[in-house]
Amino acid sequence: MKSNDTNFIERLQQQKEDALEFIVDQYLPLIKGVTHKVLSPLNNKGVIEECINDIFLSIWKNSKKFHGDTNDFKKWICAIAKYKSIDYYRREFKKIEVSSNYIDIDGEKSAEDELIIQEDRTELIKLINHLDPVERDIFIMRFFLGFKTEEIAKKLGLTKASIDNRIYRGKKKLHKKATPLTLGENGI
Amino acid sequence: MKDIYELLNDIDVDVTEFEEMEVTKLEIAKVKKSLKKSMNEKKKLKGLKKNLLAASIIVCFSAATVGLTFPAYAKNIPGINDIFRYFDNDRLAFINGTNENKSNATAEKQTGLYHDYKKYSSDINMTKESNGTKITIKEAVFDGKTVSITFSIESEQDLGEQATIFSPKIDGMNGTAGTSKISKIDKNKYVGILTMSNLEDKKLDRANIKWAIDHIQIDKQTSIKGDWPFAFSVKAVDSKVQENQGSAEKNGVKVNIEEITSTPMSFTVYYNQEVSELVSNIWDGVLVDLEIKDNLGNTYSGEDNGGVGDNYNVNLSKTFGKLDGKASKLMITPHVTFIDYNSSNHASVQITNDGPKEIPLPEKPGRGKQEFKLKDIIIEIK
Repeated sequence: MKSNDTNFIERLQQQKEDALEFIVDQYLPLIKGVTHKVLSPLNNKGVIEECINDIFLSIWKNSKKFHGDTNDFKKWICAIAKYKSIDYYRREFKKIEVSSNYIDIDGEKSAEDELIIQEDRTELIKLINHLDPVERDIFIMRFFLGFKTEEIAKKLGLTKASIDNRIYRGKKKLHKKATPLTLGENGI
Repeated sequence: MKDIYELLNDIDVDVTEFEEMEVTKLEIAKVKKSLKKSMNEKKKLKGLKKNLLAASIIVCFSAATVGLTFPAYAKNIPGINDIFRYFDNDRLAFINGTNENKSNATAEKQTGLYHDYKKYSSDINMTKESNGTKITIKEAVFDGKTVSITFSIESEQDLGEQATIFSPKIDGMNGTAGTSKISKIDKNKYVGILTMSNLEDKKLDRANIKWAIDHIQIDKQTSIKGDWPFAFSVKAVDSKVQENQGSAEKNGVKVNIEEITSTPMSFTVYYNQEVSELVSNIWDGVLVDLEIKDNLGNTYSGEDNGGVGDNYNVNLSKTFGKLDGKASKLMITPHVTFIDYNSSNHASVQITNDGPKEIPLPEKPGRGKQEFKLKDIIIEIK
């Protein structure tokens, strides 16, 4: 049996390799679009290829964690693609920054971006689990998927001020949770 | 607790925000290939890390045991002073049929793989005795990827012709493939050679080898138990890497030469094989072997180091004898064999948490085998 539009998610979750091939055929144009948008400023073809490979492998490895229909699947892999691309961008960006002593590349980088660059990501994800669902979504969209506050506000039907407010409160919560970690405890 | 993938599943992303980009068929194929590669590597290495030597790695040594008992070279026993060359003669004799006289004549024209190994090897000379059996590690050479070790065994028990010893562990190598041969040279006396190659794409400066031999396998049923713990270290000989590109294609099989590494005593060719679906739908497996000549008429004999991949698309390497310094070109002829697996030539197991699980033989229409050669790949030596 081969994978098709209706059974590919199931087959992917059963770890059938042809399902992964199906997904590559079906979604590579989209994944390529997402990664290029984020990573093309780096001017490094190798990084884009590596990132695309990583995205598909992550989809493959984490397929069991997905719930939903084909439409949700598309959303899910777009989110993964964007998350990974930003991740690669930050990583590469950091490298560039280290190697160039003379150019001040970007003054716009926020404290949160810095934090995510420096923090061990898994630790951060653990912490984010402590937030309430709305805050959690806002955090992920803002810091992992790189959405602007306005975009998030529109999506969630909230005002920009309310988003800012929730980010502020969320950060405070995270800070409280994160403090014990710096003392060398597990914190959770 | 949710991880990032579950969290991302909860987010309602607007897909219209993302734009598709045009992709070519080649790009799709490339992504698939590199995915397959990383998936296979992960799978294989995972199995290997459980310390079970990968049964699923296709290491294809001609299944025949070298049936030759006493080639001329070994007649100077008991003092075989170059075990490496002893096995060369053994091999050459095998290649040319088991006719002893003929093999000696050929051996002079064709230098064996191990001709210069002794010169560059480190003397180990460690002996351990247990259960009436003495094992001595004689020498070892390391080229950064492959370790070759010679040893001798003295045993009151008859080891027969098919004895094997389990491979050692080498620090920093997670996936390895190797061969060992043990050959009788006199009553109660045996010599052996073992090669082990790192399947990962990296080179080491030094091989720290831990070889805790706890049994010698005589045949499927019998073994001699004992305790012969060895630990030693070999520095890699200097090696020179030359990236060479070249390929040949025929009947749905493509062979790419990727890199040649040379050391004072040998050179190793890294290559891969790509097999089209047309072939993989019919045949159970595809083997590619390399035959190498240079522009001066030298023929090189070699030893497979095994490889990583599936039954069709595999990254492989093969080590040959010392490269003639005056040669400027290598002519590499890939020999392709399509095989039909049956119970006598193939067995494969999958390493699962509950132990090894046998994988049934594939049922594909190809029967028997089919052999052919690809066009020579010419490589300029820099």
